[in-house]
Amino acid sequence: MQKRIHITGKNFAIIIIVVLAIIAGITAFFRIDTTGRKGSGLGPEFSYDLDTYREIDPDLILYEEIKKFSTGLRETRAIAAGRGDNQNIYVAGDSVIVKFSPDGKKLSEIQLENPPRCLTVGENDTIYVGTKNYMVVYNNEGKRLSQWEHLGPNAYLTSIAIEKKHVFAADAGNRIIHHLDITGNLINRIGAKDPSRNIPGFVIPSPYFDIAITADGLLRATNPGKHRIEAYTFGGDFEFSWGRPSLAIEAFCGCCNPVNFALLPDGNFVTCEKGLTRVKIFDAEGNFIGVVAGPQQFIEHEKVCNEKTANRTAVGLDVAVDKQGRILILDSCLKEVRIFIRKKEPVTIQP
Amino acid sequence: MKNLSLHTQQNRREFLRGIGLATGLGGVAVVIGLAAVRKRPTSVNFGCSDQGLCSKCGLYKNCPLPLRQTVWQIDPYKCIACGNCATYCVLEESAVKCVHAFAMCGYCELCTGYFEAEPAALNSGAENLLCPTGAIIRNKIEDPYHEYIIDEPLCIGCGKCVKGCSAFGNGSLFLQVRHDRCLNCNECSIAKSCPSGAFRRVPANQPYLLKEIQQDE
Repeated sequence: MQKRIHITGKNFAIIIIVVLAIIAGITAFFRIDTTGRKGSGLGPEFSYDLDTYREIDPDLILYEEIKKFSTGLRETRAIAAGRGDNQNIYVAGDSVIVKFSPDGKKLSEIQLENPPRCLTVGENDTIYVGTKNYMVVYNNEGKRLSQWEHLGPNAYLTSIAIEKKHVFAADAGNRIIHHLDITGNLINRIGAKDPSRNIPGFVIPSPYFDIAITADGLLRATNPGKHRIEAYTFGGDFEFSWGRPSLAIEAFCGCCNPVNFALLPDGNFVTCEKGLTRVKIFDAEGNFIGVVAGPQQFIEHEKVCNEKTANRTAVGLDVAVDKQGRILILDSCLKEVRIFIRKKEPVTIQP
Repeated sequence: MKNLSLHTQQNRREFLRGIGLATGLGGVAVVIGLAAVRKRPTSVNFGCSDQGLCSKCGLYKNCPLPLRQTVWQIDPYKCIACGNCATYCVLEESAVKCVHAFAMCGYCELCTGYFEAEPAALNSGAENLLCPTGAIIRNKIEDPYHEYIIDEPLCIGCGKCVKGCSAFGNGSLFLQVRHDRCLNCNECSIAKSCPSGAFRRVPANQPYLLKEIQQDE
């Protein structure tokens, strides 16, 4: 005789509860994420995405990379090109100045007492080196010629420009440009905020403050916090400026750009930006001409820069231009020099 | 009918027997549990010179020595501002908040931790501000300096401002666990979900890991 199993109302309820509990447990196991791998679950308004701006129209890219070489340094700070017949490449870093041949072969090294922050090559291949708050002059063989006076405890030299007997040292610490003579004596200071002279003052949020002297005899200086390049006379009069803040390709992105710039033989400007790593060409009036290299060519650079969150003073690119018009970019995150040459005709875009 | 009544009595008896058994077992469990909690070693010398052993010590939550107590904190140099701090905390409102290191700030007029990367105007219009909850207040002190204040009840610890500041600026905005809010869970839910391993235990008398200005030579 078969035994009949009676399922009473209570037992049925217990069975249902147990089954629901098992289903709930399995669902929770697969749905609830305690590892964080499924992300925060926050909406799109909480995301910060610059990927749209990392793409550059290929027609705007006017240069191509022909070579890169490692500096061999633990830390790099600045790059400069030789003048006249001297086509060597000079890189400042660690506590040395390294001289490379035009094709990147290491030629010699000058030992310094303190870490360099900037350098330039003057007449007769004299090398002017800026440390944190003073300048030292060397000949091309590495013999120290002179050490100039300290510029104060707050000084932080970031760029040097020379025109005949005029030496200019950009000081990011004091947000000023020191105008010195060829022996290091102070002539005047340029750029201090002065409403009566219509001088806006420099806004330098991070230690990137670059200067150069153009063929028209004006001193050009970046004002990164105002997203522009300004022009001053040697006497300190503010003449004009160009540049504007925007993520657009023809402007300067983020909070403080451009970080560095250099002059091409035709008088155009090569600018470097950080954040969205871009190297671009502008003419003397500030009209955008084209791109040397965009974010897609600095992927490894940006990856390393983001890892270097402990040292924001050395993530910006530095740039120099040699006599042939080759653009020399110093990548201080990867400690390498990248060389670009022009590949086609420019397309001028009004800002 | 008689059989039904007997069946009902038997079910009632079984029910009461079950209740009694459950109560008895539960009581025994409570007694054992209380005994386990009350039983504390009198000695503090558990080889706890290595603070990594603190969490294994029965004393650590009630350790009389301040140095031995530890709390959770975010290493700002490892944090990638993924947003998990906003949603994985056991609290309704996350204990993780943004903080601002004034000394590191570049005081940019177009602050990318405060404004959208491409603001329509540099004003406090909601469409221009980066923070989705409006938790960052900017006050002008004198040109070019601004003061940034984080309204903590509004801040959910999403880290969007941290990303903006770090992308272009000096990284002076970063996330920290606020210990006036944190429950100091033995196993922090955010720590478990952190993809960069930025969470770690720090001494309770030094509960914050703050960014500092890079001292350049």
